[in-house]
Amino acid sequence: MNFDLTEEQKLIKDMVREFAENEIAPSASERDEEERFDRGLMFDKLGELGLTGIVFPEEYGGAGADYISYAIAVEELSRVCASTGVTLSAHLSLGSNPIYLFGTETQKQKFLTPMAKGEKMGAFGLTEPAAGSDAGGTKTTARREGDSWILNGTKIFITNAGEAEIYVVMARTDKDAQKHHGISAFIVEKGTPGFSFGKKEKKMGIRSSPTMELVFENCQIPADNMLGKEGEGFKVAMKTLDGGRIGIAAQALGIAQGALEAAVNYAKERKQFDNPIASFQGIMFQLADMACMVESARLLVYQAAYKASNGQSYTQASAMAKLVASETAMKVSTQAVQVLGGYGYTREFPVERMMRDAKITEIYEGTSEIQRLVIGTNLTR
Amino acid sequence: MKILVCIKQVPDMESRFKVDSAGTWYDTTELVWRMNEYDEYGVEQAVQLKEQTGGDLTVLCIGPDRVKETMKKALAMGCDRGAHVNDPDYATRDPFEIGAIIAEYASDKGFDVIFTGMQSQDRGSAQVGVLVSELLGIPAVTTIVDFVLEGSTVNVKRELEGGIKAKVSVTLPALFTCQLGLNTPRYPTLPNIMKAKKKELLSIPVQDLLKVAFRLETVSMQLPEKKGGGLVLEGDAGELADKLITILKEKTGVLAK
Repeated sequence: MNFDLTEEQKLIKDMVREFAENEIAPSASERDEEERFDRGLMFDKLGELGLTGIVFPEEYGGAGADYISYAIAVEELSRVCASTGVTLSAHLSLGSNPIYLFGTETQKQKFLTPMAKGEKMGAFGLTEPAAGSDAGGTKTTARREGDSWILNGTKIFITNAGEAEIYVVMARTDKDAQKHHGISAFIVEKGTPGFSFGKKEKKMGIRSSPTMELVFENCQIPADNMLGKEGEGFKVAMKTLDGGRIGIAAQALGIAQGALEAAVNYAKERKQFDNPIASFQGIMFQLADMACMVESARLLVYQAAYKASNGQSYTQASAMAKLVASETAMKVSTQAVQVLGGYGYTREFPVERMMRDAKITEIYEGTSEIQRLVIGTNLTR
Repeated sequence: MKILVCIKQVPDMESRFKVDSAGTWYDTTELVWRMNEYDEYGVEQAVQLKEQTGGDLTVLCIGPDRVKETMKKALAMGCDRGAHVNDPDYATRDPFEIGAIIAEYASDKGFDVIFTGMQSQDRGSAQVGVLVSELLGIPAVTTIVDFVLEGSTVNVKRELEGGIKAKVSVTLPALFTCQLGLNTPRYPTLPNIMKAKKKELLSIPVQDLLKVAFRLETVSMQLPEKKGGGLVLEGDAGELADKLITILKEKTGVLAK
């Protein structure tokens, strides 16, 4: 048992923190205000640093690092800008990882390699108006015609949509099969005729990360773009989400850490009744509770990442990490606004943004309710 | 071309410092360590020179085992190999001893270019670089803010007082001490961080290289006295003027009593 980061993990943490503080943080508030995604800053630069393919082998353009390094990278980015954190998480865990896990050698060379190098961005299309937590409710269809598949339907709430070049999309290939069995996964490239983007969502938080609809109208893709076997799309989706939960858990952890630090710094500076408010137990005890929650979440996140790196089953661990980290992010950021009082409620300070950003972590890539369902089902089966 | 860059591991300057029990240095427990900021510019310049010339680049650092972490960053930025001079007592050594250790290491290696930071952020003597050059019998150019290699000549700009820059040309071999702003130190990329662990990092016991005695001794160290807080006067303009005149008369010699 060892709780120390390895030398590489420490170097990665230092490097990403320095990069995040120097390059990402200065524009975080402005990008949030303007709901503006900055591709050069929030994706291309991550590619130059080797973050976009952090966990994939070198032969596919990756860095060959472990999942703890990945969690640390998302955490450090999210500590200053949750939108940048989710851009990396959606690209790597949701867009790229299913191709790494289920792709053929040709698909990996063609799609994964440019994604890992940061030349192409990835996204993942599962959610539909009638299929969210119930992935089996997928209505988007794929019909075989000769050497092609023809896709029809709409995906909603897709992170990185519009910006990404490569989309992993779930569609029903067998109408008659039982709910989960007739779904298959496909790789769809931006620019394919019949594939367009619908409305851009106006969100409460992560406003610098684009969220849009994917619209498929007789979109014809090569038969070779099926990912995994026909009818195994549900398996692809569930495995992908297991990994994705580590990314979102790390994002939530980063938000919580950022909010904690903002609260501590403020409490040490702000004077009331001639003393820093941090010297009042009413505030100090709140900070202590926040720090304990953040550290507990961190241990769960790193544990899930450790299991993922060491070939152990991590469905349960990643569900626990995601549940605890996201609820920690919500509680700690809300508490941070309270510690900052009136200032915390203004957009002059980053904690109100962190509080708005935190909420989504309890919803996307499996709501807190779904995480409890996963954990509870594993416990009681 | 053979290049050496010397770095020092220093505490994060945001740390809360305490004087140690001997009263001659700061307490090193519970500190977060990083590369001396001046040395980051040295490493970047050394890596650029290596990339330009296809040269061979060694990074040297003196200190206990923990300094290897900082050396890994230099390796991840592009240095080829590390020479770690294992010295648990490095912090108590004077600049002459440190300079002599480096000069002894470099004496039989034939380095064409040696970079050091202009000074360290903790001791700040700014002596080590020039002492090394003197002991090796090569020229030193200090406080450089620009570095251009042309053939076997290096043209540099030095920063003087008041922002004035001086152009200096020097024939190699030579030593350069680097000022902040010399370049933009790169972030070590992920693939390079992963490769750094496979690079050679040789540890040398300090006894093998230290052949001189110290010349300076730190007698004591203390934290600066806390300055009193400012005084905020309140009232309308007339009252403020009266209060200010009273204070100036009573507490200073500016006005006659």
